[in-house]
Amino acid sequence: MKSLRIPRSPKVVLGLGIVGFFILLTIVGPYLAPDNPNNTSFAPNLGPSGAHWFGTTSLGQDIFSQTLVGARATMVVALVAGLIATILSVSVGVAAGYLGGFTDDGLSLLSNVFLAIPGVPLLIVIDSYLPTGSRSNALVIGVIISLTGWAWGARVLRAQTMSLRNRDFVEASRIIGESRARIMFSEVAPNLLPVLASSLLFTILYSIGAYVTLAYIGLTSTSVWNWGTMLFWAQSNNAPLANEWYWFVPPGVCIAMVGTGLALLNFGIDEFINPRLREAGMTSRLRRRRGLPRRPRLGLTPVVRASSPRPARTFVKTGSGAR
Amino acid sequence: MNVEATSELQARHLTRHFSVRTPGRVLNARRVLRAVDDVSLDLRGGEVVAVVGESGSGKSVLARMLARIVRPTSGELALQGNTIPLKAKRTLDYASQVQLVLQDPFASMNPVHQIRHNLVRPLLIHGADKAHVQAQAAHALERVSLSPPEKFLDRYPHELSGGQLQRVSIARALCVRPKVLLADEPISMLDVSVRLGVLNLLRALCDGDRLAVMYITHDIASARYIANEIIVMYAGQVVEHSRGTDLVDAPTHPYTQLLIASVPDPSDPTSIAPETGARTQTLIAESGCRFSPRCPHVMDICRDTEPPQFLVGESHTSRCWLYRDQPEHAVEVALPVRRGGEEIAETRH
Amino acid sequence: MSTDALATNRNASPPSGVSATSDAASTPQVMGTRILDVKDFSVEYGWGEGAVRAVDHVDLHLERSKVLGIAGESGSGKSTLVYGFTRLLRAPGVITGGEAYFNLGDSQGTEEVLDLIGANERELRQVRWSHISVVLQSALNALNPVVRVGSQFEQVLKTHRGGLSRKERRARAEHLLSLVGLDPDRLARYPHELSGGQRQRIMIALALAVDPQLVIMDEPTTALDVVTQREIISELYELRARFGFAMIFITHDLSLLVELADEIVVMYAGRLVERATALELYEAPRHPYTLGLLNSFPPMHGERTELTGIPGSPPDLSDLPSGCSFHPRCPYAMERCSRETPPLVNTGETDRSVACWLHSGDDGVQVPIELSRRGPSGSTPAETP
Repeated sequence: MKSLRIPRSPKVVLGLGIVGFFILLTIVGPYLAPDNPNNTSFAPNLGPSGAHWFGTTSLGQDIFSQTLVGARATMVVALVAGLIATILSVSVGVAAGYLGGFTDDGLSLLSNVFLAIPGVPLLIVIDSYLPTGSRSNALVIGVIISLTGWAWGARVLRAQTMSLRNRDFVEASRIIGESRARIMFSEVAPNLLPVLASSLLFTILYSIGAYVTLAYIGLTSTSVWNWGTMLFWAQSNNAPLANEWYWFVPPGVCIAMVGTGLALLNFGIDEFINPRLREAGMTSRLRRRRGLPRRPRLGLTPVVRASSPRPARTFVKTGSGAR
Repeated sequence: MNVEATSELQARHLTRHFSVRTPGRVLNARRVLRAVDDVSLDLRGGEVVAVVGESGSGKSVLARMLARIVRPTSGELALQGNTIPLKAKRTLDYASQVQLVLQDPFASMNPVHQIRHNLVRPLLIHGADKAHVQAQAAHALERVSLSPPEKFLDRYPHELSGGQLQRVSIARALCVRPKVLLADEPISMLDVSVRLGVLNLLRALCDGDRLAVMYITHDIASARYIANEIIVMYAGQVVEHSRGTDLVDAPTHPYTQLLIASVPDPSDPTSIAPETGARTQTLIAESGCRFSPRCPHVMDICRDTEPPQFLVGESHTSRCWLYRDQPEHAVEVALPVRRGGEEIAETRH
Repeated sequence: MSTDALATNRNASPPSGVSATSDAASTPQVMGTRILDVKDFSVEYGWGEGAVRAVDHVDLHLERSKVLGIAGESGSGKSTLVYGFTRLLRAPGVITGGEAYFNLGDSQGTEEVLDLIGANERELRQVRWSHISVVLQSALNALNPVVRVGSQFEQVLKTHRGGLSRKERRARAEHLLSLVGLDPDRLARYPHELSGGQRQRIMIALALAVDPQLVIMDEPTTALDVVTQREIISELYELRARFGFAMIFITHDLSLLVELADEIVVMYAGRLVERATALELYEAPRHPYTLGLLNSFPPMHGERTELTGIPGSPPDLSDLPSGCSFHPRCPYAMERCSRETPPLVNTGETDRSVACWLHSGDDGVQVPIELSRRGPSGSTPAETP
């Protein structure tokens, strides 16, 4: 593909920074943690201090360590669930959109059913049937979360595929004898990349929410630290009532920040895809600097004259009597 | 049987009907749209057959039936004398023998793939040796005068101009070494200055490689420029058909006459408006001659009975009652049934 | 630009805000029979390093009731030029230089000059449609798909002819449809229920709804069949004879322009390369590009001979060749052509100019015979002085 540009918009830079920071935390978090998150040897209910940046729980565990260690499980489950859900939605969406007919009817029915079922209660039901051992398995949890999160993406991708299906380049592939599977995944799917990226970001976001919810209501293994279990313990020890804000605020803020970062990145996709924005380099900051209106107005083409003198007049009118 | 020996692709009585909803009628009454009606033609190696018609005349559907990506309602098709069972699936072999070039070069290339992909894929699909495909792809570009090929292979479609893309499109069709090339308005989306280049290329391929070319266009002047045979279609039917340029130099059908009079011709600046007959809102008659509502010479018989093809000259036919004292032209009815394999073709008549 | 500068200046001097660098701009605008005067006009797309100059110092003028044809290939800047001086060009288009004046006066010779480049939104609104109207290539996109044809006429007439009653507006709409050869019952239809030719006729009727002095046609017949094109062109001919509006006709089809236009300008890579009356241009082209374009249309009669067209591809505006943009494709290119851009100069004949070093009159430059044919007015390019 084209060489990647450095994004110009401050929104995207911020989003990239935030998401990058948390991905880094996923990798190195557990090694950075100053203490074992299960270690109960500290004094309970300490407020934030130099020794314990985020304070301690009522069991005397270091909250800073819990936050750092918890990042990995939370992010891994979210990424796994996001990826699986996206793969599911591409397969179902592209197949339904390209093949049409009965296949489309069947697959659309399936995704509509999954759209109609409320996600979290379904998760709770599936989860409660899981053997306790697998509740701590990030992959298993990721798969069941993805089951409830793929349908929306499939609908969007189906609609996009239907609009691509009748494009000339798809017909050209049919003419040369390309197989259906190859047309779908080698010709059509790459053109869905912008929608796909956006859909991936939002399923990751959804997965974080779903995982934290499951953990918060105590349905995942409480021995695995993630931001949801931290909230679960904070809630069950009446931290909000006891005014122990340092217990539930760190995981809460982390969740909110990952969400914000992902949403900001989504703006970047928009800027990257829209060729008009990209090629002309008309970012709003440049517009302001040039004294152009921020939003282009229809029917009033802006006039900006170069401040430097024009090149020598190229139009030479010789006298009409030259003949 | 001399003619038949060089016929690469023969079509007899090809017909395609679509059923369409009629807006505003009770219960969405459906009516049959005769997109292509009883068209017979022969595509011979080393010859260009031009099919001229307005949008909606059925010329694109005809090309897609010949490429077998649209299934005919009825009719017969024979590739190199072998009857093709119409109900069967299009085979890879047929795809490699008959190739179609689409109208819009910008839309017919996948924006996410390099030019290389567009040439290598057809080669691989049709069983080329993996070791040679790169060289073959480069050779295909050279055949359409895109040289040096290395300059183009790694480009993306948006980096090329329309004329270059249309050449790539032709190269993509040619790299599987087809016998028949169907070109659906290959120059109408191109800039005026590069159109002749593409037309000359088609002519050269036809002369040099004995390719059978069908050139579909709405521009009768370009048809006259490259064709050995010209067919004019109106509302799904062949209204006039001639070998050589007789049809343009001495048009017999009122529609062809109208078409030719409409072409901007700067060498005759006084020509302003041709006689168009009564302007009516319906352009295609449901019964009788389909051109009758627009025809300046319309007679009673035209409104009631559909005219057959009359022979108005040596290999020049016209579907018009004005020539009813001429002999009728009959297309040989059935194709010789020579089948490879056990496929059973249904023969009509 | 300050609001003062945008205030109209309907007489004499150009607005103070316009940087009056050329002598032409500092002299008072007296347009006389001219309806449009565009001087040294430039348009760019985008900003900074990625900016592309789409129209490069173009001069253009149009007399009342005349037809000006603008011919050129895609990317030649023909549409950008026209949308630029009418200020209809969309982002990221920016006007970067030049002036454009429009004469609002009537044919009796009254003068009321509007500076289109300095005008504000309100003034432009007053001029659009009632004085300058535009017919686009794709009528399907230009007509509102969810509004009946009749209501679209109603809206235009209500806005620009406020004095008319509902009945009068209806009558006017029916009259306009009859002018373009359509039944009044089309008013009750939605755009998608009409054929391409009918929609384009409706666009023309809408453009003529409030008697504009200038109608701009941007490839109005390109999407249509040749028979429909012929019908519409002949209708335009009659309508112009009847109402006397001036017309700018943009197309890539030079042979169509030769029949229709009084004067033709040929554009290449954002510049004017040749200007002449239609017949002169056809009979005696002076620029190699014009000659190449004329030779790109296969003839309808005579022997079939192989034509070559123009070699190469139209240039990429972001990477233009040095000197004359046409020189890589030009069969007559000289060494000088790759170094210097030829100016558009009078050829020594009345009312025609060309931008080509072949006609510079320099010693040692032989003008090829096919580029120095005698035109219908009997003139040939000026001999070397």
